[in-house]
Amino acid sequence: MSEKSSKPRSVEFRGGGFAPVSHRWVGLVVFIVLIVLAEVGTQTGFISALTMPKPSDVLETFHQLYVSGLLWKHLVPSITRLLVGATLGITVGIWVGVMIGLFSYVRAGLVPLVAAIFPIPKIALLPLFVIWFGIDEASKYALIAFGTFTPTVVATYGAVDNVDRTLIRMGQSFGLSWTSIVRKIVLPGAMAGILSGLRISMAIAIILLVAAEMLGAEYGIGAYILEAGSLYDLERLFAGVVILSVMGVLVSAAISAVERKLLGWRT
Amino acid sequence: MIIIDRRKALTLMGAAAVASTLATPALSQSRKIRVGALRFTSHSATFIAVVRGYFKDAGLDVELKFFQAATPMAVAIASGDVDYAVTAVSGGLVSLADKGAIKVIGGALSEEAGIDGQKILASDKAFQAGLTSPAALDGKTFGITTAGSSFHFMGSQVAAKEGASVTFKPLQKVGAIIGALKSGQIDAWSIVPHIAKPLAGSGKVHIIGNISDYLPNYQVTTVFTSAKNAADERSMTQDFLGAFSKGVDDYNAAMVDKTLGDDGMNEMVDLIHKYVYADRPREKAAKSIINGSMRLNAGAALNVSSVEDQLNWFKSEDLVGKDIKLDTLVDASYVKTI
Repeated sequence: MSEKSSKPRSVEFRGGGFAPVSHRWVGLVVFIVLIVLAEVGTQTGFISALTMPKPSDVLETFHQLYVSGLLWKHLVPSITRLLVGATLGITVGIWVGVMIGLFSYVRAGLVPLVAAIFPIPKIALLPLFVIWFGIDEASKYALIAFGTFTPTVVATYGAVDNVDRTLIRMGQSFGLSWTSIVRKIVLPGAMAGILSGLRISMAIAIILLVAAEMLGAEYGIGAYILEAGSLYDLERLFAGVVILSVMGVLVSAAISAVERKLLGWRT
Repeated sequence: MIIIDRRKALTLMGAAAVASTLATPALSQSRKIRVGALRFTSHSATFIAVVRGYFKDAGLDVELKFFQAATPMAVAIASGDVDYAVTAVSGGLVSLADKGAIKVIGGALSEEAGIDGQKILASDKAFQAGLTSPAALDGKTFGITTAGSSFHFMGSQVAAKEGASVTFKPLQKVGAIIGALKSGQIDAWSIVPHIAKPLAGSGKVHIIGNISDYLPNYQVTTVFTSAKNAADERSMTQDFLGAFSKGVDDYNAAMVDKTLGDDGMNEMVDLIHKYVYADRPREKAAKSIINGSMRLNAGAALNVSSVEDQLNWFKSEDLVGKDIKLDTLVDASYVKTI
């Protein structure tokens, strides 16, 4: 034994960290710095007009869009398509997912089917959807519903599988009926997983919105972006992309609000 | 057994290097350029100039780059990946010209009275319901690829002449429009004859008019290049247009004016078939290639007034900036203007 180790050793505090702390302003600063860099770059000519539009021009385009009233003309059909399509896909998806989670026969029958249709690029089926559902709204709803359905199913049955078995066993020893266990233990326990699955499903719904509006849509954010792309009008293109991003942020915030309400029991 | 030591290896490498330099002087004089093309008969002049060596004679080593649509080709010119290409004047092309990226330098396909040109089509459903001539277009739907495409231009011009108001349905791809037209999801469309005639033959689609009746001397496609080539590479651009024009003359003689007789036409069909409808048997492709024969402007002459009409229409529809001048889009110093 050396003399050193026999001395009492001071131990510094090693706890703390690994706990997310809210710094809301940092995200905003990152956005602002990037936009200012793009503005300075395009103003000085360091970034050519062919590569990127001036952020101020994009803002001006957006303002024009708002003043002319075209913004709502594009937004209303898009939001309708998003809501109807996503509601259909998510409702059916959660229902099928819970069934897979609860019943072994349904699981054996449907999991391979879901695995088979998940990787199909829904955009590739668009011409087929036009024949099935017509060129108008129905094919757009169907595309978004189909696209949100599979990720919702996968997230839901995964969440049901991950419900704490000890809680279910406890419910059984207290003599709860099967429906009570599903209603009071399985569904609340799976809710966190289902909601985080919804974030992915809704992002996919917004991506598919642009694809859905490829065919026969005169108005809509996706149609607006595609038109700007074919005209190589970068200002309109970016204005449209910004609208999609804002939609994504809003949807994510809405899901967070639902999480706070439904998952309050966790804290 | 041959044993190669270090010295022998060096000698061999040296010999190989000398041999390769000796073999190349003929090629080293020609400039390597890339030319964009679509697999349409309207691009035949480019194919002819490649196969018959007109580009090579002009000192140009041409590599063909194939595209699926006109807009990506225009973007490829802007980015410098392609040097010259032929395509319709579209809103995207005008926007890129406005950004100082590209210039129209010549004309290619054009409508001409007396020569079978682009057709106006109606779906069988709409035809049975009374859409038997473009005069009945009011309140109907018209298929287009994208806003600002040549289809959009043609449709709106026909509708304007007939005093009809039509709804344009953007469907992105020619294939999607054909599907929608056949199944009656849209009422009308306009397209080059080699696609229109087989469609009409199927009975699901009817030809109800000619574009040339509404847009006489319509400059359908133009030759364009990057603004840099147009400004700084005058001799190369002239060489390109010269060789391209030889291809145009051969094409017109064989396919449009038919001065070379059946043998000349068959020879030309064989040549074009290497590039267009290459996946179909010769006899089937030949029909489509012959059906698709439309006048290419001799000497790549450009109908400036038609291009100006198109530019003005894009402006009036608010598809491009209002302050774009014709000079921004067109560099008329290379070819004869009509």
